[in-house]
Order: sequence, then C-alpha cells, then structure tokens
Amino acid sequence: MVKYISKRLLLLVFTLFLVVTATFFLMQVMPGTPFNNPKLTPDMLAQLNKAYGLDLPVWQQYLHYLANAFTGDFGTSFQYQNQSVGMLIGQRLPVSAQLGAQALVVGVIAGLFMGAASARNKNNKIDGTLGIISTLGISVPSFILGIILVYLFGFKWALFPVSGWGDSFSETILPTLALAVSPAAVTTRFVRSEMIEVLSSDYVQLAKAKGLSDKEIVNKHAYRNSMIPVLTLIGPMAANLLTGSVLIENIFSIPGIGQQFVTSIPSKDFPVIMGTTIVYAMMLMVMILITDILTAVVDPRVRLR
Amino acid sequence: MSEVLKVENLHVDFNTYAGKVKAIRDVSFSLEKGETLAIVGESGSGKSVTTKTLMGLNAKNAEISEGSQLLFKGQNLLDLKESEWQKIRGNEIAMIFQDPMTSLDPTMKIGMQIAEPLMKHQKLSKEAALKRALALMEGVGIPAAAEHIDDYPHQWSGGMRQRAVIAIALAADPEILIADEPTTALDVTIQAQILKLMKDIQQQTDNAIIFITHDLGVVAGMADRVAVMYAGKIVEYGTVDEIFFNPQHPYTWGLLNSMPTTDTQSGGLQAIPGTPPDLLEPPKGDAFAARNQYALAIDRQEEPPFFKVSETHYAATWLLDERAPKVTPPIPIQNRWAHWAQLKGNEA
Ligand SMILES: Nc1ncnc2c1ncn2[C@@H]1O[C@H](COP(=O)(O)OP(=O)(O)OP(=O)(O)O)[C@@H](O)[C@H]1O
Ligand SMILES: [Mg+2]
Repeated sequence: MVKYISKRLLLLVFTLFLVVTATFFLMQVMPGTPFNNPKLTPDMLAQLNKAYGLDLPVWQQYLHYLANAFTGDFGTSFQYQNQSVGMLIGQRLPVSAQLGAQALVVGVIAGLFMGAASARNKNNKIDGTLGIISTLGISVPSFILGIILVYLFGFKWALFPVSGWGDSFSETILPTLALAVSPAAVTTRFVRSEMIEVLSSDYVQLAKAKGLSDKEIVNKHAYRNSMIPVLTLIGPMAANLLTGSVLIENIFSIPGIGQQFVTSIPSKDFPVIMGTTIVYAMMLMVMILITDILTAVVDPRVRLR
Repeated sequence: MSEVLKVENLHVDFNTYAGKVKAIRDVSFSLEKGETLAIVGESGSGKSVTTKTLMGLNAKNAEISEGSQLLFKGQNLLDLKESEWQKIRGNEIAMIFQDPMTSLDPTMKIGMQIAEPLMKHQKLSKEAALKRALALMEGVGIPAAAEHIDDYPHQWSGGMRQRAVIAIALAADPEILIADEPTTALDVTIQAQILKLMKDIQQQTDNAIIFITHDLGVVAGMADRVAVMYAGKIVEYGTVDEIFFNPQHPYTWGLLNSMPTTDTQSGGLQAIPGTPPDLLEPPKGDAFAARNQYALAIDRQEEPPFFKVSETHYAATWLLDERAPKVTPPIPIQNRWAHWAQLKGNEA
C-alpha cells in the first residue's frame, strides 16, 4: 500500500512537470502581452518586462520558473501587483474548496438516494419523476439554478442570505445547493443504471432466495456493488468542484479561485495562470488517486500494485 | 413417508408485449420427505419457472392463476404475503443456483454470505452465525475452512464456490432444497463431486431435493423419481427405473435416445427433431404431436390425460389408451424395455 502510494505520488510529480512545461510554452504562443495599458511608454514597458524577467529568452524564463517553483515560489501576479501567486491561491483556494466539498457531499449523497430509489422503482412513477428531475439537473446550467435559488430563498421567502462569505454558515447554503444540483443529477443517473444491473444479477437473486427483504438486499449487497463504478465518476467530479466555479462565485460574490483563474487568462497574468493550472492538475490527480484507493477498499477484486 | 409439498394445477403465465406466454400449463406433483425428484426436459419446458414459483421468485410479469395450489405444511404458499415468503425462503425452502461464478456477491466475504441466512432466520449473532458458517463450510468439504472464511469469491474456483452456494442453501436446514442445474457450469469431475456432496448431505439431513437438469445422464445417480416436462406440462412421471427402463411417452423416448449411455446401448445418439411449440399459442391437443413420429390423429384434437402405468408411474400419451394401435418404439427403447422385463422377472 505504502509502496503503491509512493509510486503514484512520483507519477503525479512527473505528470505535474509535463503539465507545467506544456502550459508554459502554450502561454508563449498566446497573442498579446500582459502589459497593454496604452499609457505605458516603450521605456516603461521595457522596464516592466525586465522586472518580471520577460526580456530573457523563453528557455531561460522556463528554467527560472522551474527552479523557483521547486522552492515554492510561484512568482508574483501581474494583475494584482505585489501579491505572490502562492498567497493569492492560498487565500482563495480554501474558499472554493470548502464550497466544492459541501456541494460534493450534498450532491453525491442525494444522488445515491435518488439513484437507488429510481432503480428500485424501475419504470414506475417514482422512477419517472426522478428521471425528469435528473435530466433537468443535468441540462439546466448551475448559474440559472443559482439565480432561481437566490430569487426564491433569498428574496421571495428571505430564508438565507444571498451573498457573501465567511460570516456565517447560512451564507454557504444557497451556493452549495446551486453547485450540488448537477453532481446530484449525474450521480443519480449513474447509480440508477448501475443498481438496475446489480439488482438483476445472480447474487441478488441468491440474496432474495436467502429470504432477505428488498431493503436488506439494497443495503447489504446492492449499494456496495453499485458504488464501485460510481467511485470512478466521483474523482474527477470532486476535482472539478473543489477548484471552484466562476459563475456561482460571481452570482454569490464568493472570493474563490474560479473567478481569479478566468480573469487571469485575458489579462495574460502568466504566474497566476501557471499557479492555478498546477492546482487544478494536482487536485485532479490527487482525487483520482484517492478514488483508486477507495475502490480498492470497497472492491476486494482490485489490488493496488 | 410423509409428503412435504404438493403442487396442484399450477398455471403460470407471463405477460409480454407479444401476449401471454403460457409457461406452466397445469402442473401437479408431490414431494416426499427425504426423496429426490428430478425434473427433466428441454430448454424452455418450464423447469426453472416451476421452481421459481415454489420460492415466490418469479419475474414481475408472472401471473399465477387462481386455482393453482402450492401446499406446504398445510398452507397454500400462493396466499403468502411478501414478508411471509421471506420466512420461507432460505429457511424452509432453499435454492442452489446454476452458475457459481455469478451467484456469490463479489464484495462480501464468503463466511459472511453463509452466515447471512442464519442471522436472518435463526436470529443468531454475527459471531454465532460465523461459527456455524465455518461448520457448514467444513460440512460441504471446503479444505482448511477456518483459513478461508474471510476469503472473497474471486479467490475460489468454480467448484469451491458451488460448495459455498450449497452451504448457503443448507445454512438454515431447509426441508426442501431446489437445485436448478447445479452442475451445468462445472467441468465433469467437479460435477461428480458436487452431486455426491448433495447426495451425502441428503442422507444426513433427510431433506427433499428437487433436482433440475436437462442432462438425463446425471439423473440416474441422483434421483428417486423423475418428472419429464414438455412445453409447460409434465408428460410422464415415475421412479427412476420406470422412466429409464419402462418409458411410455414418445417424448421421454426421444430424451433417452439423445442421451449418451454406456449400458443399454445400440443405435447411437439422436436429437429430437423439430423445436418446442410457441407458448404464446400452445397447439391444440398434445403439444408434442408435431415432433412425434408416433402421433395419432387424436393427438392433434384432444389433449391426452394421464394413463396409469403403475401405482407410481403415469404418462400422458394416447398411445396408452386401450383403443390405440400398438406401436413399436425405437430399438434402444426396446432394449430398455427388455432390461425392464428382466428386472421384473428377477423380482418375481
Ligand atoms: N419473465 C418472463 N417473461 C416471459 N416469458 C418467460 C419469462 N420467464 C420465463 N419465460 C418463458 O417461460 C418458458 C419456460 O422457461 P424456463 O426458464 O422455466 O425454462 P427451463 O425449462 O428452465 O429451460 P432451461 O433448460 O433453458 O433453463 C420459456 O418459454 C420462457 O421463455
Ligand atoms: Mg432453467
């Protein structure tokens, strides 16, 4: 187990290196420069470029970046002067991660229940209703849901605050719900189809022949077996949620990382682009590693090697 | 001997888009304590549906008609509510499934899977149930059972898994054990071991076994009585010797002729020509008539009733009517009859 995890972590570092390299050189071919204020004189521009090391040949810039990154220095933002990328991400990532984690937990748990309910009532009214709900959940974008939630719970019934972050837990409820809908819908569909297959399996027939009730069969046999493929879905889903959502963060004025990443691209804020890309890539790989480990825990047939 | 189960006038239909599939059409039989009844017949003849009905495990589109009766311990199982069925299943009537590779939960320890029915029916604690599971594993011949109680199914071979499935079925000491082609998925040597195991267990527990197969070869060593099914009906039943050596129904002849044997042999293997009838629209008269070279005119008009051959032996064929012409069966069957005459001669 320890050996397996260290092997995977090594692989992770190597992949990260590839991602950094690819992103770095791709940024070079992006048109435009980070400093496009028309008031800047050529002299001032040259000075700025020098200050940020942009006057050096690309390969030198690349080596500098790598060397600094290894010591934990990811540079300073061009956009927000004097802010280090490490600090920017350090402040904003936890906000997005908390919101994402809440949405993940709510979404996945709701999906497990609805998927199982759907599968157990295959082709009747309950299944049909849940089918419509999950189709809507997948096809309606989360920002539209966000706006609807804000209108209903924030203004019409005034149950929860509609914006802000860090003052109370209740502020997180509406954005969490808005963000949880799509993962809930995706999980519902996935669990439904997995569970329908499991419920028609021979070992479920045998469990029935043992005299177990439907509820016991679902809890003791069907959930565990339908969970295994669902785990592979949850890894990327988690990475996606934990790294923030631009639209939701905008609607609810949440100081997360999603917004920052998006504004960093048009403004050519190279250090921030690099930093967030690394965070995204790392998050994705760590989540996949975690789900692989979880899969091995749940499924005795899977051996970590 | 005492009767543990009596099936009377069982009719099972399946509602499908194409119409009603009349899968079981008036089946009656009884089962004695400690005996093995084999149900044989071609694919689709209704063997599995019959036994699933006995466990209340039929598909949702099944419809069992009013007059059907499954009498077990004085009650008609067909009147049971789902919660009452659960007390019967795995407890008084248990089932061994066909494919051991797919019938165990891949994510649950085997010991636990055996313990499960004990916790459910005998309300044993987990520890007590696992202890009993270990004894059951030893009982079904799993070597070094104590070391393997925490194994998962994928670590075991098919033969061992089938032993585990048998241990599950035996856990609550059921009165009736249903085995639906329990060895079809196993290779021949393992097959023989599993059949012997079932026989040995029966001697210890005195449970009744319903043994389903389309392989008449395994019936001889296993069964006390045989029921031959065709197109949702039993067409002939009797003791093993009666069915093997004094068969009366042309369908039974066909089955026997298509079975490889070493003893009463001559004439080689012959599959029954044609295919079974469509159960959406079962034919008028004897369902086997279309494939029967000995069919009489009346076979296409009227269904044959059961004719008594002996106290224990009945066959539903017009050939046994006193007005029917005497036909000469195929040579291998004549040989079987000769063997039968010899047996009878010895007895007398
Ligand atoms: N759920 C169902 N819906 C429709 N028809 C069904 C259903 N289950 C079984 N049948 C039909 O009932 C008939 C009897 O099937 P059954 O499974 O009992 O055959 P069998 O004798 O066990 O055959 P085999 O040797 O292949 O196992 C078949 O014609 C089958 O197609
Ligand atoms: Mg069958």
